[in-house]
Amino acid sequence: MTYPLPFGELHGVFGWLYELLESTGLPQPWLDVVRYAALGALVFGVISLLALFLVWWERKIAAHIQQRFGPMRHGWHGWYQTVADAVKLLTKEDILVDTRDKFVFFWAPVICFVAAFLAYVTIPFGEGLIVADLNIGILYIMAITTFTIISLLMAGWGSNNKYALLGGIRSAAQLISYEIPMVASILVVVLFVGSMSMVDIVEAQSGWITNWYVFRVPFGPIAFITYIIAATAEANRTPFDIPEAEQELVAGYNIEYSGMKFAMFFLAEFANGFTVSAIAVTLFFGGWHGPFLPSWVWFLLKTLGVVFLLMLFRWTYPRLRVDQLMEFAWKFLVPVTFANLILAAWMKYAGWYW
Amino acid sequence: MKLLKDIKNLLIGMRITGKHLGRHAITIQYPEERWEMPERSRGIVVLLSDKETGDLNCTGCLLCMKACPSAAIFIDAPRDPETKKRKLLTFTVDNALCCFCGLCEEACNFSAIKMATMYEFSEPEKEGFLWDMKKLQEVGLDVDYIDTRKKKPAKKVPKPATDSGTATDKIVPDTLDSDAKQTPPAPEPDKPKEDGE
Amino acid sequence: MAELRTEEFTVNMGPHHPSTHGVCRLILTLSGEKVIKIVPVIGYLHRALEKICENRTYAQCIPVMDRFEYVTAMSCEYLFSNAAEKLAEIEVPERAEYLRVIMLELNRIASHLIFYGVTAMDIGALTPFLYGLREREGIIDLFEMTCGQRLTYNYIRIGGVSKDIPPQFEPKCRETIKTIREKLNDYEGLLNENPIWLVRNKGIGVLPADLGIAYGVSGPVLRASGVKYDIRKDDPYSIYDRFDFEIPTRENGDCYDRYLLRLDEIKQSLNIVEQALDALPEGDIKAKVSPNFKPPAGEVYARVENSRGELGVYIQSDGGKKPLRVKMRGGSFNQLQVLPEIGTDCLVADLVAIFASLDIILPEVDR
Repeated sequence: MTYPLPFGELHGVFGWLYELLESTGLPQPWLDVVRYAALGALVFGVISLLALFLVWWERKIAAHIQQRFGPMRHGWHGWYQTVADAVKLLTKEDILVDTRDKFVFFWAPVICFVAAFLAYVTIPFGEGLIVADLNIGILYIMAITTFTIISLLMAGWGSNNKYALLGGIRSAAQLISYEIPMVASILVVVLFVGSMSMVDIVEAQSGWITNWYVFRVPFGPIAFITYIIAATAEANRTPFDIPEAEQELVAGYNIEYSGMKFAMFFLAEFANGFTVSAIAVTLFFGGWHGPFLPSWVWFLLKTLGVVFLLMLFRWTYPRLRVDQLMEFAWKFLVPVTFANLILAAWMKYAGWYW
Repeated sequence: MKLLKDIKNLLIGMRITGKHLGRHAITIQYPEERWEMPERSRGIVVLLSDKETGDLNCTGCLLCMKACPSAAIFIDAPRDPETKKRKLLTFTVDNALCCFCGLCEEACNFSAIKMATMYEFSEPEKEGFLWDMKKLQEVGLDVDYIDTRKKKPAKKVPKPATDSGTATDKIVPDTLDSDAKQTPPAPEPDKPKEDGE
Repeated sequence: MAELRTEEFTVNMGPHHPSTHGVCRLILTLSGEKVIKIVPVIGYLHRALEKICENRTYAQCIPVMDRFEYVTAMSCEYLFSNAAEKLAEIEVPERAEYLRVIMLELNRIASHLIFYGVTAMDIGALTPFLYGLREREGIIDLFEMTCGQRLTYNYIRIGGVSKDIPPQFEPKCRETIKTIREKLNDYEGLLNENPIWLVRNKGIGVLPADLGIAYGVSGPVLRASGVKYDIRKDDPYSIYDRFDFEIPTRENGDCYDRYLLRLDEIKQSLNIVEQALDALPEGDIKAKVSPNFKPPAGEVYARVENSRGELGVYIQSDGGKKPLRVKMRGGSFNQLQVLPEIGTDCLVADLVAIFASLDIILPEVDR
């Protein structure tokens, strides 16, 4: 029996669910509708859980770096602290500024969250565990995550607050600048794989660990480092978190948001952090490949490793100034990534790689 | 080369934070674990009772009230017209006003008032911070202290003023009312009370 | 199509802004991100401390002085006691002087540790804040062990100190000194050479020495500009002339120099504490002072070097038990006044860095 979507190692579970669905005797178009709705809900649930977990994890890591405990009250080491926080944010009063731009103010968090949500469609969580294996997968992710910029700008404008506006403008400038080195780093891998499909990229790195692109000296490590720098900026994390720069702009674009709307920004931020790490794993660390454990476990472990790296950055480094940030992107990162891209292209042409 | 140096320094920073990641937390989980307060810690003001009789040590001399810089102590102790002795009627401490300076404890000559090491006295209402004599005594029952009264049996003897030259005639605090001048004067106010520590 | 134009806009930074260290309000005129005008508004923490002191007896003034500059409350207490002692010509016992110096220097270290953490936090590094406070905790424990309070000590009194140090003080103090010396390496490793820290601080908010002097700036901020002026050396009070220590100075007067200078001062203060502990004599801890302390009529100005510059108090006495007039002088006030001079024409982020590096504390500005 074939299924419209293969689910790799989780085949049994999903196959059973699909059979259950078929046994209800729904006519065909409705069957698909229900199936995709269920898939959407599944991805949504996974993201929400991941984001909640990451919030908790970040708090724990921050606490332990600073020799504190962090959340300890709810469950073992406060594991459902963030769930409680999310419930609190959901039930909280939504404070609205009178002078807001109603339409823009309302849609900004929605767009932000949806953009973060959509990016997960083409992320291969494991062998066959992908919602849609688009042949332009990585391009799709880059395009979708750029929506975040619009939402942050909208939030900054719609709040009718000077700090928020500054934050929105800063984020637009920053994200657009860092998109270029990010894409240039990704292109190195795409160049070698010859495909933009996420699954193809992972498949190209099967076999020994030396097949991972991060170990393809010299262009691989350079591409990874430039990617992780750009990704830190994309995910708005210290040292590049100028859009919300707590000590300068108080909270930046989300200063006027509260309750559920704030929660959407907050969760989207962590979902974005996970997305960029997942891309890093897919591109440079062989995706789901790994011995013994199921593929999706490997993928999660690797991704959490990259997320951990981002967290270590955040809790170690000070923040750059806005002009230094731009300078770094345009005067250092862009030339380096392009030089690296040219180097990689030349090596591929000359055949000097394995 | 500057680039390599920068990368090296960035990695040093990561090493330091990474090193701390494995260490144990130095904070404590407050309501379950508690800080052991040092002996001298100045917490809430309590009234001390005599270890044998259980009566308050306070004689109502008003010295602590006069010493308080934030006027947190209110004492009502009118003088008996016959015996000329003060009778302590009310002794109220407003913990919301108290600035925990410890001057009242130092002013007291009768081991009657002490800043205990207790520090939890939050109240939902502001009125709750007003602690009357009964509550102050209750809280102070299990507070350990060194009774310095017994060392000065002769109450009426004016402070050993003879040896401290200039301060002789000023030793009775003139912050007191005129009638207060007949109360036992301060015996050696400079002497630290915590001799035993 | 309408012509494009840009406009300056006004932003209210404070009084409750994360990086104005309390309740300072800066009215900023911004052109984009660039600061073109700064107007500090003070007074949100005004408690009329001078007037309060005038309504208290001298002994009661000491707890009030604790609230003047609560990060280094010891120096405020010392300041007032010293002024009153000068007025009444009281000789302070030797041991008391040593204890005072130990406490003053420990308090200076504690204050600089807070500076380290808070400055790092203002520039975006959140972890150093906790590290700085962690070491400060050791010092605060020493204070609590000695006088019973962690912040408002009421320890240094007219004529001496209120209590002798407990026996376990000295070993614990030496241990704390050792810990801080070790941890200073971590501090320096985290920030000193960090390229992000360097670009954020080097050459930012340069305060020329003559401008600093013109504004009456003192303390570490002035010394970072190359002026070797420290009251501990230039007008020695207490027994500072007996100790062997350096007055560190720096040349550039930017945020980075101000930061480094404070780390240097921590090291010097640790030396002083060690020397004082070694030389601590036995004896009385308090001169005989009447509870109705009444200094003779007259006036006096006393000053000390605290972690934020020259801290001074002027007392006028009419011979009564309460001071007739008390006037306080804090270093932060002058440093806040110089902020518009050195903070203009930089970005908002730089302003935050400069504000942090000046180490302004608002209760001292507002009183």
